[in-house]
Amino acid sequence: MTHATKAIYKLLLTDYVKVSKVSVEDMLFDEQDINRSMDRIEVLDFHQTVEVNGIKFWCYTAGHVLGAAMFMVDIAGVRVLYTGDYSREEDRHLRAAELPQFSPDICIIESTYGVQLHQPRNIRERRFTDVIHSTISQGGRVLIPAYALGRAQELLLILDEYWSNHPEFHNIPIYYASPLAKKCMAVYQTYILSMNERIRNQFANSNPFKFKHISPLNSIDDLSDVGPSVVMASPGGLQSGLSRQLFDIWCSDKKNACVIPGYLVEGTLAKTIISEPKEVTLMNGLTAPLNMQVHYISFSAHADYAQTSTFLKELMPPNIILVHGESHEMGRLKTKLMTELADCNTKIITPKNCQSVEMYFNSEKMAKTIGRLAEKMPEVGETVSGILVKTGFTYQIMAPDDLHIFSQLSTTNITQRITIPYSGAFGVIKYRLEQIYESVESSTDEESGVPTLRVHDRVTLKQDSEKHISMHWTSDPISDMVSDSIVALVLNINREVPKVVVESEAIKSEEESGKKAEKVIHALLVSLFGDVKLGDNGKLVINVDGNVAHLDKQSGDVESENEGLKEKVKAAFKRIQSAVKPIPLAAS
Amino acid sequence: MGTSVQVTPLSGVFNENPLSYLVSIDGFNFLIDCGWNDHFDPSLLQPLSKVASTIDAVLLSHPDTLHLGALPYAMKQLGLSAPVFSTEPVYRLGLLTMYDQYLSRRQVSEFDLFTLDDIDSAFQSVTRLTYSQNYHLSGKGEGIVVAPHVAGHLLGGTVWKITKDGEDVIYAVDYNRRKEKHLNGTVLESFVRPAVLITDAYNALHNQPPRQQREMFQDAISKTLRAGGNVLLPVDSAGRVLELLLILEDYWAEHSLNYPIYFLTYVSSSTIDYVKSFLEWMGDSITKSFETSRDNAFLLKHVTLLINKSELDNAPDGPKLVLASMASLEAGFSHDIFVEWASDVKNLVLFTERGQFGTLARMLQADPPPKAVKVTMSRRVPLVGEELIAYEEEQTRLKKEEALKASLVKEEESKASLGPDNNLSGDPMVIDANNANASADVVEPHGGRYRDILIDGFVPPSTSVAPMFPFYENNSEWDDFGEVINPDDYIIKDEDMDQAAMHIGGDDGKLDEGSASLILDAKPSKVVSNELTVQVKCLLIFIDYEGRADGRSIKTILSHVAPLKLVLVHGSAEATEHLKQHCLKHVCPHVYTPQIEETIDVTSDLCAYKVQLSEKLMSNVLFKKLGDYEIAWVDAEVGKTENGMLSLLPISTPAPPHKSVLVGDLKMADLKPFLSSKGIQVEFAGGALRCGEYVTIRKVGPAGQKGGGSGTQQIVIEGPLCEDYYKIRAYLYSQFYLL
Repeated sequence: MTHATKAIYKLLLTDYVKVSKVSVEDMLFDEQDINRSMDRIEVLDFHQTVEVNGIKFWCYTAGHVLGAAMFMVDIAGVRVLYTGDYSREEDRHLRAAELPQFSPDICIIESTYGVQLHQPRNIRERRFTDVIHSTISQGGRVLIPAYALGRAQELLLILDEYWSNHPEFHNIPIYYASPLAKKCMAVYQTYILSMNERIRNQFANSNPFKFKHISPLNSIDDLSDVGPSVVMASPGGLQSGLSRQLFDIWCSDKKNACVIPGYLVEGTLAKTIISEPKEVTLMNGLTAPLNMQVHYISFSAHADYAQTSTFLKELMPPNIILVHGESHEMGRLKTKLMTELADCNTKIITPKNCQSVEMYFNSEKMAKTIGRLAEKMPEVGETVSGILVKTGFTYQIMAPDDLHIFSQLSTTNITQRITIPYSGAFGVIKYRLEQIYESVESSTDEESGVPTLRVHDRVTLKQDSEKHISMHWTSDPISDMVSDSIVALVLNINREVPKVVVESEAIKSEEESGKKAEKVIHALLVSLFGDVKLGDNGKLVINVDGNVAHLDKQSGDVESENEGLKEKVKAAFKRIQSAVKPIPLAAS
Repeated sequence: MGTSVQVTPLSGVFNENPLSYLVSIDGFNFLIDCGWNDHFDPSLLQPLSKVASTIDAVLLSHPDTLHLGALPYAMKQLGLSAPVFSTEPVYRLGLLTMYDQYLSRRQVSEFDLFTLDDIDSAFQSVTRLTYSQNYHLSGKGEGIVVAPHVAGHLLGGTVWKITKDGEDVIYAVDYNRRKEKHLNGTVLESFVRPAVLITDAYNALHNQPPRQQREMFQDAISKTLRAGGNVLLPVDSAGRVLELLLILEDYWAEHSLNYPIYFLTYVSSSTIDYVKSFLEWMGDSITKSFETSRDNAFLLKHVTLLINKSELDNAPDGPKLVLASMASLEAGFSHDIFVEWASDVKNLVLFTERGQFGTLARMLQADPPPKAVKVTMSRRVPLVGEELIAYEEEQTRLKKEEALKASLVKEEESKASLGPDNNLSGDPMVIDANNANASADVVEPHGGRYRDILIDGFVPPSTSVAPMFPFYENNSEWDDFGEVINPDDYIIKDEDMDQAAMHIGGDDGKLDEGSASLILDAKPSKVVSNELTVQVKCLLIFIDYEGRADGRSIKTILSHVAPLKLVLVHGSAEATEHLKQHCLKHVCPHVYTPQIEETIDVTSDLCAYKVQLSEKLMSNVLFKKLGDYEIAWVDAEVGKTENGMLSLLPISTPAPPHKSVLVGDLKMADLKPFLSSKGIQVEFAGGALRCGEYVTIRKVGPAGQKGGGSGTQQIVIEGPLCEDYYKIRAYLYSQFYLL
């Protein structure tokens, strides 16, 4: 979350814990939990790109409330924009929601106001100030029930400015009666950089959130209710608390006014009085006539239909997911957007709670071949072999020798040197080795002058002394295997067990070995795929979940409807074959 | 094949002059930093003036004079007109620093290199970015992404990363690795293997003493104050001073001292006001304390902010601590206060950063410090008597001239506007046109007289009409209903409420700091200078609070970042050479130390091409995870996609066997506990690891240099044929990935 959000988060939830009246057991969380969560919250600034496991994300201003952010998430090139609550209209202190530089592939967008349209801001402000102006001039009091955060600050800015421009009002007090708003004022006074140019320019002179004409009010007892005044109090719905207390006192005087600036929740008194009933029920159960004027001027910082549709038209996301809105309103928005975006093949989805939306994107995986491996551009049909290194969602192909240059990885050579007790003649070993291996070179060691043998250019044997020979090689699977066989051979000579006689091993007939190999292949395939049968014309029929593949054992060709299975069978067969057939020693 | 990168230093190589470098990436010219020193010597900008007009973008890294001081001058005089990029604090504090510089200079000299307006207009073209914001350039720089990253040292201080086609060019000077009171350490270490790293050698030979400096700092101050002396800290206007203020605040609170602290610059109050709103740019501890208790660390409780010296003079007597700009003691309040206080043995002048080369501060930091220094004391005094009269006369003369010029210009304009009218008006005017010509002819003989009176050194073209009052033809259009009007002219502006508010707020960011100069500008004044010798009897101490990485940590960071190519700038010749030799040995084989105006080509000699990885190939690749990396061996056949891209397809013939590769970086120190956890006795003996009774594991070959050399680790395992040998070998293998 952004810096401002984190600061407000703590205040808001702490306030919630303090005012919630449920018993300790029913409390979902307490202050300690909040403090613990504070340590886990990472903050980021607008536009700051953060990368986690190769997934990049950053945020744009959303214009809903101080610190509000729209998040863009980039997963391997597929971008998802989540607007949250946003407003495309710049107000007194917030920047309008930004238009992202890149169009997202999916746009998850709020639909709170559906197809409704807002009045222009300056008209709403004019209505607001006019109501207050006329009420005050007639000696009345103005009650503004508002939520402690967000719109309250905007309205206070309007009031403070209006008062500055109207010196005749300077003796009329404005109060905001919300301890939470008072606490949050420090946050508003600090995170000026998250606000718009207007505030920043004003800041050059003095902090616009250090109000000149507005003071906080702690409780109703501190209010000397003697003349006209303007009081902004929470809660916004007039359910209880200070705003309700004031309402009860003021509602029967027709000089007074109540201005409701925010979103109205069903079932609250604020919603009820909009329809201007003759009487209202007070908190003490009595009824009183509702004589005060009631005005509903929405300052809600949610996008309306005009904003939403222009925003989407500018962005042109191929997929739109509508969230957060009353279902009818959302439906109307969907239909209207469908007709408006009809010619651009846009998919609009309105999932229900807990219903997941799955979309598949086949992004091309691109790799960069670098270093020695890329010294010349390959022609079509040539092979490229190297290490594929994946970091996040970027791929690089490089030669093993370049690994340490382009990544923090490095390669290692392990040289092994082993001494084997052997007191026989060195020549015997040579003789034996020559019987097994094709290439055995003998020479003498340049330093010590002892005779050496080099087997297949991999393993070197040295006669260190009368009692010992030493063997050294560089680790890799084949050399390790060769060395093991040499060790076995030397030990066998030592033990003088029946000599390995040069005998033309009863070479099994081609057919026999072929059969054996076939058996092995079949067994391995069964262990991999389960249902493997010998079909007609010598092909193996592999059946996996109804997908059938035909494998030609001779050529390794696979036929199948299912591409995935075909590839798997092909790869498996290739691996089995390389396991069954002898390893060519000439590998290097 | 790669992106072409050229670096040309314009100032600040092989010495400690201001920083200014030209970095050209595929023909797009970045000017990185645009510094000047406290002497404001225009000759330093000679190289910049030659290239200023070719620059496409300017990147600023720190809000002090050495990094951005020349910006107003370059914009005004050298034809620099590129967009500028910086972080918000660099923009704001840089602006304030420049105001402070100007006002300090203006106070003591007829400073005319740039004005406050020039500063304002120069900073108007700044685009502000946040840390880690990837800004995609457009137009000529298409494909280039610039991003600022945390550098430490100063608030908003930036390490610039310029990326094109996946190749990074990183510019990192004056970074700090240590976390400080108000700043986090740099994130430079998180970049690995950039194609090019441009960095400074400023501190290469300079090792910070261990932590005790803090006590020394506090002791020195409290001792002097207790003895009844005054303490002067010459500081910069809006940079390191922030850290010092916090340290002092803490110290004062901790020891409940009540000596007054004054922070005296022309812009001190605005500086602190702005800094209070920059919390999101500061270190974790500051943001944390704000989030949990809404305590803004820069709500200073013990510090009084002053913006002119008379306030200090009026302050009650007694020991006090003053932080005053400029750090160089060349001008500004610190200069004046130094002259006043230097001759008293009780006083202390405490330097917290090395003075710029050739300044008074640097002289005083010499060891041993000079007994006496010559200083020029200048003062701006209002003009009186004859001088004032002379000045006023001069002003009226100038005004007259100006008025005359203006009237001429106006006349010229009206002529110009009439001219085309004549031509345009077409047929009905033919007669008139003739008339005009005729009248011109008629006027000709008398013309001379008019000209003498009205036009000075200006010959009107022969076609011009005789001087007359401006006359504008009302050639508005008429239709059947009367004059055709533009409805837009009559729309009542709805925005008036906003407009009014804007007026209150105003756009005038420099009101309080500017006011000083406005007063000063309004009154005719002159500068009076006299040279005097100041006996330096006060105590001089230098304690390093520069907040730059020291030699040791520079080397650690560089070897960690391990760039493919390294360019060293900014630092004395010895420091540069020392660091070069070090890096050649331990960091990378390509280290460049260009001279001023020498263009070096650091284009990477890398070969690279892009290929598409086909689904078929990728479904058969098994990745092994190794830290942040996943690796696999691929054998693939090259094919082409429909749009002509190269793509890699699975190979059709059995893969040719390849030499197996062991991937992994083995640290002997890590291997030891691993083996002992497996129940093998291990100990180090003579550089080798003895495992069990007989087997030894050794690392051979040169270690260290990462960028060059073979890069392949050599490990030897030796032992007699026994079971242990194979067991240990298996454990050793388990440390690597076999590909």
